[in-house]
Amino acid sequence: MAAIPHTPMIEVRDLRKTYGALEVLKGVSFDVARGEVVVVLGPSGSGKSTMLRCINHLEGYDGGEIRIDGVTVGYDTTSRGRNPHSEAVNARLREQVGMVFQSFNLFPHRTAIENVMMGPVHVRGVAKRQARELAAALLHKVGLSSKADQYPAKLSGGQQQRVAIARALAMQPKVMLFDEVTSALDPELVGEVLRVIRDLAQEGMTMIIVTHEIHFARDVGDRIVFMDDGVIVEQGPPERILSNAAGARLRTFLRRYQGDYAAGA
Amino acid sequence: MRILVGNLPYLLQGALVTLLLSIAVVVLGTLLGVALGIAATTRSRLARVLVAAYVFVLRGIPVLVVMFVGYYAFPAAGLRVSAYVAVGLAQIVYVAAFVAEIARSAILSVPEGQIAAARSLGMRRRAILRQVILPQATRIAVPPLLNSALTAVKQTSYASVVGVWELTYAAREIVERTLAAFQIFLGVMAIYFLICYPLSLAARWSERRFAFVH
Amino acid sequence: MDYAAQTALFLIAQFPKLFAGFLITLGIAAAAIPLALVLGLLLLAPRMSRNRIARGGAIGYVDLMRNTPLLVQIYLIYFGLPVLGFYPSEFTCGVVGIALQHGAFLVETYRAGIESISDRQWDAAKAIGMGRFKAFRVAILPQALVRILGPLGNQLIVLVKDTSLVSAIGVAELTMTGKVIIERSAASVEIFVAVALFYLVLTTILGALFRVAEYRMAERLG
Repeated sequence: MAAIPHTPMIEVRDLRKTYGALEVLKGVSFDVARGEVVVVLGPSGSGKSTMLRCINHLEGYDGGEIRIDGVTVGYDTTSRGRNPHSEAVNARLREQVGMVFQSFNLFPHRTAIENVMMGPVHVRGVAKRQARELAAALLHKVGLSSKADQYPAKLSGGQQQRVAIARALAMQPKVMLFDEVTSALDPELVGEVLRVIRDLAQEGMTMIIVTHEIHFARDVGDRIVFMDDGVIVEQGPPERILSNAAGARLRTFLRRYQGDYAAGA
Repeated sequence: MRILVGNLPYLLQGALVTLLLSIAVVVLGTLLGVALGIAATTRSRLARVLVAAYVFVLRGIPVLVVMFVGYYAFPAAGLRVSAYVAVGLAQIVYVAAFVAEIARSAILSVPEGQIAAARSLGMRRRAILRQVILPQATRIAVPPLLNSALTAVKQTSYASVVGVWELTYAAREIVERTLAAFQIFLGVMAIYFLICYPLSLAARWSERRFAFVH
Repeated sequence: MDYAAQTALFLIAQFPKLFAGFLITLGIAAAAIPLALVLGLLLLAPRMSRNRIARGGAIGYVDLMRNTPLLVQIYLIYFGLPVLGFYPSEFTCGVVGIALQHGAFLVETYRAGIESISDRQWDAAKAIGMGRFKAFRVAILPQALVRILGPLGNQLIVLVKDTSLVSAIGVAELTMTGKVIIERSAASVEIFVAVALFYLVLTTILGALFRVAEYRMAERLG
């Protein structure tokens, strides 16, 4: 899990974003090394989801710079200002960044395996038979081979989320972004999803995980980033951050989620 | 009953014209409307404003007035077309306004999260439209589209007021000649009922079937 | 004088006639709307009754109105009543025809509003000990009214547009007036554009009124 001394996989420099009159991101900077798992904690409204969506350019940003594997995301900054990238360039970037959402967002009119095949078939033009084999392998990896031909409506929340992870993995991304992926799940279904994420981490996938599950953060994270009110307040290894030496705001946050923390402590 | 039966061949010719006119109006009006509805969901502000204005104006005036405009517009522009074409085009333009709104609303009802998921896989706009949005939007749109078709069929009768010969026009001709109002008009209502009721049943069936989509 | 100025002057000259036609249109709508609203209410009880014959009759009437054109219904009344010895005015025939058709549509609007109130509301009212009718009046009706307001407004706008059909039997409402002006002068499409504007103003105002009413009522119910 140690960082490899290459250029970082993700570089975020002084990221700023404003919604109307509200400044949501006020200059966020951090790096993610290859194979590193960064867990982002913070209260709602801290800007963590927005930051994630800026990284794969689902949303634009107003200041600063984001790079993935050395390539700038969304804009080219020249001496004369910013040129936004074309939609084609942005789409190609998103092929390399997988994202899993809080509300799963599976396509209800397609079966599980068809959902997983969506990316390869309709973005990369992979032949259906090949795509199906790849999809079947991925579903097996997340433990859902038996549900391949089911429609999402027939699957539990945890199962749907695992299909969503498989769908994102089908594009063989360099980076995986997880946006509160267990927040909408019944407690007993959370474990199966976290297990899949842990396996991915152990395989060396570079990941940013936004979550409330503090014990999971401690378990899987190489580094914790604590965000509040649009800035990074603290970051560091879990042992240091989550111990009693934590700063005031982080302590308040942890106290609110005391239950989870105590469970994993 | 004798007068009705005696004039039945004439009325059935009128019914045929009504049917053909209805099919042309429904098919072309729906196609145009769907295209406009899709255009209204693009990022182009101009497209959205134009379609919104189009829908607002046409839905706020009677179809009969649109038909009159169509009827007089062509000669005014120096073009000679048959009344069928003029009034038919007018009705197509009218139907398209309602269909555009149906299509636009159906497209927008596909949850944004799915579009975000499709985008984050790297899908481009056209692929998202074809693979994610349209399959779902179509199911939502079918019941109101069937109702719109039903209305369009009944509205073909209004073309008679503008001077286009179809079933209602034929009926009025006969009644003005024979004064057998009840026989003829009730008979014509029966013919319209036979044409419309299957559509009406289909609309109701589709409402039940596609009621629970998400 | 150039074309645009000429046309403008012509339209302004015709304004009084068009406005008179507009007033007749308003008159038809004003007469037909209350009749339709009441007819819908009268049909509501049979439509929702548990008696299969009553319900079947109401549904049959609604289906008949739904699947035949309003124009033919108006013709039936206008040409048919004299045969029976009645000679109502064209205005009356038009109003009656419109009311009969829209009463059928309105009963479905009413029904949808009432049925959209979840059963739990009914149960709640009954649990407090209200009788069926009182429960309806106090608990269901106010909520149903708010939900009805939107579709009701739309339906009444359709009614206002349908008044144009009585031009077919010679009533000098707005559409007929436009047609007459064209036939008697050198005017052309511009007249019907002016006619369209009158209707557009009317339907827009009506629509806005209903949206405001819906908003206010929803606010009051909290």
